[in-house]
Amino acid sequence: MSGLGPTLPAPGLDPSDAALEQAAEWFALLRSGEAAPADQGRWQRWLAAAAEHREAWRRVEAIGLRFGPLQGVADPTPAVEAWRHARRRGGRRSVLLGLVSLAGVGGLIALALQDSAWLQARLARSADHRSALGQVRELRLADGSQAWLATSSALDEDHDAHWRRVRLRAGEVLVRSAADPLRPLVVDTPHGRLRALGTRFTVRLEASADGTPLRSFVAVYEGAVELRPRDADGGLVVPAGRQAYFGGGRLPVLEPTDPAGEAWTRGLLIAQRLPLAEVARQLQRYRGGGLAVAPEVAGLPVFGSYPLTEPDRALAMLASVMPIRVRRAGPERVRIEARP
Amino acid sequence: MSVEAVSSVPIQALYRDHHGWLQDWLRRRLGDAGDAADLAQDAFLRLLVTPRPFEGRGAARAYLRAMGQGLCIDLWRRREIERAWLETLAAQPEAVAPSAEQQASVLQALQEIDAMLARLPTRAATAFVMAVGCQMSDREVAEAIGVSSRMVRKYVAQAMLHCLRLEPPPAGAGHPAAAPRLPAR
Repeated sequence: MSGLGPTLPAPGLDPSDAALEQAAEWFALLRSGEAAPADQGRWQRWLAAAAEHREAWRRVEAIGLRFGPLQGVADPTPAVEAWRHARRRGGRRSVLLGLVSLAGVGGLIALALQDSAWLQARLARSADHRSALGQVRELRLADGSQAWLATSSALDEDHDAHWRRVRLRAGEVLVRSAADPLRPLVVDTPHGRLRALGTRFTVRLEASADGTPLRSFVAVYEGAVELRPRDADGGLVVPAGRQAYFGGGRLPVLEPTDPAGEAWTRGLLIAQRLPLAEVARQLQRYRGGGLAVAPEVAGLPVFGSYPLTEPDRALAMLASVMPIRVRRAGPERVRIEARP
Repeated sequence: MSVEAVSSVPIQALYRDHHGWLQDWLRRRLGDAGDAADLAQDAFLRLLVTPRPFEGRGAARAYLRAMGQGLCIDLWRRREIERAWLETLAAQPEAVAPSAEQQASVLQALQEIDAMLARLPTRAATAFVMAVGCQMSDREVAEAIGVSSRMVRKYVAQAMLHCLRLEPPPAGAGHPAAAPRLPAR
């Protein structure tokens, strides 16, 4: 191995992606503890074959060097475990909340109380359509479009000769829009406007514990939706099979939709290796009260279908198939922790 | 207007137009004026090192805000790692604790590695860090995380390729993934 440092610039040579891929595979093989003696020779020949191979390998080494300080301590395991712990904590925060700081949560992950009594009372007074805590509601909008409201959601309708306008005020709605070429259907959230281009899509508004809107989410299952975030200049088209978060200072990035993302309209939570903390967060939306997850079990993967509209039964089902127990910690509060 | 023309907006003008609000925005988000000043400085430093063409003030503002958001998340992650590492050290008997210098360089390495692997699925990142950081064989990693050793090999290759593809090759704090993609009009 050559001893080139990580910061040395590559003079005018950018290895192809294929060369990078091969270099990564060589690295994985040679350090696996399972390489055959002949592999060394093959690797040498690969290196000799092209300058871009050597440059790719130089970059592999540069990345390997970043692990030097870890390799230099007598036992790097505690450091790696500390990193894993931080990644579980931090990853969840940047994914779930993105923006609000989680001051003073101590050892527990506090889940956003999107269903606070205060929010309910506020919605009850004024929204055109709403769903109760734990309920999934199917409804027909004034223009004939079909809609499903997830738990604790609220929707206003405002149609005129030019627009069919729906405003999501809380929670989540899945819309199957009726055809009306003359009047576009738009869904507004505090974070932007979604314009249906003949379509089935879901919109969710994520809020903090006190009901302050944090960001919005759209997933498109059929057709396409034009998204115009309020905090960005441009708009973009979200095609079927894609989803995006918008608002909260972040520009939307399209990701593939979760095929199980529509299951809530049937009252189901379908988990395919979903972390327990995320499952708990979704159940929390339907259950209300307090639902906390101990950090040591928060990352456990969950598989299977669970009844969203019967969250306590779902919790009991989880406890019967996973190494966890659900402990009552107060009148409405439960805590998921490792089974002793 | 050509890309050449817009890209020539000097950094001084960008700084004058955008530094003030960016720093305010970061301070509200972070709740700390010192951190906000550091990150605002960092954002402009990045623009200085890697200039970008902006079509107008709105585009520059949106870009800077997204970059600020990415930098905040980076800062939170670095703090989270620092906290976990300090907790780990506190729980260790003094006799086995690494020297102060080693403690600091381990922390820095963990933060850099985390930034490199931020966008990688957790399992692949974990396998990679265990394999390379602890110099464990595929079989040992496989036992530790409960997958086959073939899978570990795949994860290690996937993670290495992920790091190789980061543009430009990361050179310190933050991660290039924080650079936002601007929406297509």
